[in-house]
Amino acid sequence: MLKVERINCCLENTLILRDISFQVTKGDFLGIAGPNGSGKTTLLRTISGILPPVKGKVYLEREDMSQMDKKRIARKIAMVPQNTFITFPFTVREVVAMGRTPYLHRFEREGKKDLKKVKESMLLTRTWHLRDKRVTEISGGELQMVVIAQALAQDTELLFLDEPTSHLDINYELEVLSLIARLNKERLLIVILVTHNLNLVARYCQKLILLKEGKIYTQGEVEDVLTSENIKSVYHVKALVKKHPLTGSIYTFPLCFNGKTETKKREKIHLVCGGGSGSALMRELWDRGYEVSAGVTNVFDADFETATLLNVPLVGEAPFSPITDESYRKNLRMIRESKAIILAEIPFGEGNLLNLKAVRQALKEGMRVVIINKTPIHERDYTKGRATRIFEDLKREGAIFVKDEKEALSLIEKILNPDSVI
Amino acid sequence: MLKSRRKFIGFLLLIGVITFWVSLSMGSVSVSVKDILKIIIHRLPFLNNWIKSEPAPQKYELIILNLRLPRILLAMLVGSGLATAGAAMQGLFKNPLASPYVVGVSSGSSFGAALAILLLPGIFSVPLSAFFTGLVTIFLVYRISKSDSRVPVETLLLAGIAVGLFFSAITSLIMYISAQSVHHLVFWMMGGFGNANWDNVIAATPFIGFGIPAIYYFSRELNVMQLGEESATHLGVEIEKVKKILLILSSLITASAVAVSGVIGFVGLIIPHITRIIVGPDHRIVIPVSSLIGGIFLIWCDSLARTVIAPVELPVGIITSCFGAPFFIYLLKR
Repeated sequence: MLKVERINCCLENTLILRDISFQVTKGDFLGIAGPNGSGKTTLLRTISGILPPVKGKVYLEREDMSQMDKKRIARKIAMVPQNTFITFPFTVREVVAMGRTPYLHRFEREGKKDLKKVKESMLLTRTWHLRDKRVTEISGGELQMVVIAQALAQDTELLFLDEPTSHLDINYELEVLSLIARLNKERLLIVILVTHNLNLVARYCQKLILLKEGKIYTQGEVEDVLTSENIKSVYHVKALVKKHPLTGSIYTFPLCFNGKTETKKREKIHLVCGGGSGSALMRELWDRGYEVSAGVTNVFDADFETATLLNVPLVGEAPFSPITDESYRKNLRMIRESKAIILAEIPFGEGNLLNLKAVRQALKEGMRVVIINKTPIHERDYTKGRATRIFEDLKREGAIFVKDEKEALSLIEKILNPDSVI
Repeated sequence: MLKSRRKFIGFLLLIGVITFWVSLSMGSVSVSVKDILKIIIHRLPFLNNWIKSEPAPQKYELIILNLRLPRILLAMLVGSGLATAGAAMQGLFKNPLASPYVVGVSSGSSFGAALAILLLPGIFSVPLSAFFTGLVTIFLVYRISKSDSRVPVETLLLAGIAVGLFFSAITSLIMYISAQSVHHLVFWMMGGFGNANWDNVIAATPFIGFGIPAIYYFSRELNVMQLGEESATHLGVEIEKVKKILLILSSLITASAVAVSGVIGFVGLIIPHITRIIVGPDHRIVIPVSSLIGGIFLIWCDSLARTVIAPVELPVGIITSCFGAPFFIYLLKR
């Protein structure tokens, strides 16, 4: 059991951590996350006894850690660093056996029990076949597994990991964390994982501490801590948090497609779409900061999903049902609030012809209408030519036809910001 | 594994004994092994009453006891000491290019020797001054590198280079302004055992004799330190303490070696390498084997230095480099 009581930490006279308190008990799997510079690694160094806190105390099984002998701490806490560099060509087995150091007297050689423990942890990490190789000759992923084997050979109740997989391929990443999760469940090993990968946290940790500027922003069960609001205020990134259908755990997804995290509010644009025809454009507009609305689509179709994820207001119609007059009017209201309308490349049938009519109505009322027309209308007209005729009217009445989404976007930018050079 | 290590150390001890006898008999006057045995047994307590035989000629006794024996013992001490200190420094700095001189001890000692040669030349003043300034250098370097009760090895290395260069500059200045004693100083800076006597042996023995086993005492820590300082701490090593002790021990050894024999290059850098190539990187074996190979190597180099163009002597540093460098290149390319 490890208990951290109101600690402050300094690095070269700069206060890095303020007022940190938490505790872990048998079987806990705690994640520590936060942006770069939030003090994650400093916290881990403090609670592992490397860095003494300037205020507050760390208790290891009710004992003040600052008063404990390093060797005794080493029998309780093992640490896996981000990466390890070894200059001299020790064999893999020699390096793993160094994990037994806290149990051996100065001139004592590793005994039967030590060698058993070394072999066991090498088998667990699947590094036994490397035992006689030189650590200078194996790959980075293999070396990290060897270091983990060493930490397991240390036979501790607590295992700390500092970004253990940030240099590894995804196959090693999964292998490492599945193994740690298994040991956590089977042996009630207490695990503290520092990482910037929120999805790893969501998948493997039970508890999470979110650090922000050297303080605990919030802590608790992962589901309670990992919310869009918390991520927004800690990382300044809009993120999606959902339950993953395959893993059953929640996952986060940063909603930022252009690399810009924050954009100023821009004009309102209405997108007439459906069936997935407008998703890409909707995302792009949203990302550029436009206030987007959409309609009318059937509930649960691809555009509807995208709009829900992005929190875009949308007029939805019941699945497989034609557009009702009510939805038509709602759509028109949204259209009238917008600066411009884009008509995505939808196939038209009897059910959604009202969408086309709404666009024509908008054009009549003097609004700007941009129509994407890559596939000629007669190829996607399932209304015996009625849609094609409306298209011809639209063309005559001044709607702007473009060949794809890209052109539509640059046109919209040009129309709405005539001064800016693109 | 363990058995073969013991065998190897036994083999080295045997070579050491052979080296010792052969080098005693070598020289401008060659003395037979039988005579050497007589001379030494004659001097040993108890044994001299036990074995009665004709004493060896008087002049042989003088050559063996007053010239060759102290010289060979000193070469052995210095060779073992420098090789062990080198192994410790390479482990401490996690850098195979580190040597006993890496933290500026040699430049500091040279400065002390130069100062003594200039101001109060004497048999004792030069080595004493060299020893003292060598130690001052290491404390200076240590103080410069210390920040927040921690001594980062990178800073230590750089501070060592800076302080070393500073002392070298002052030594050059001294040499420049005191033209007549330059020859003496140059000979000292090249290093050698031409002035070896029993006083030197007695002066160096306690430091080197204590330093080598003391470094061996920390060989497990040296191993664990190869994982990085924080990882070593997580394995229960009091890293700052161990670092300080190892630094002091290797500096003591180096400073006393430099004080009695000048700056002999190469041994401290190369011998630990050769050792690791032969026995692997485990310091529990690297430290004792380095000290054995270092001692043997330097005895041979010195024997060659005094016989190659006898009666003229070569500075031993020339020999160490001429033999060590090609051998090292061979090992690297093997």
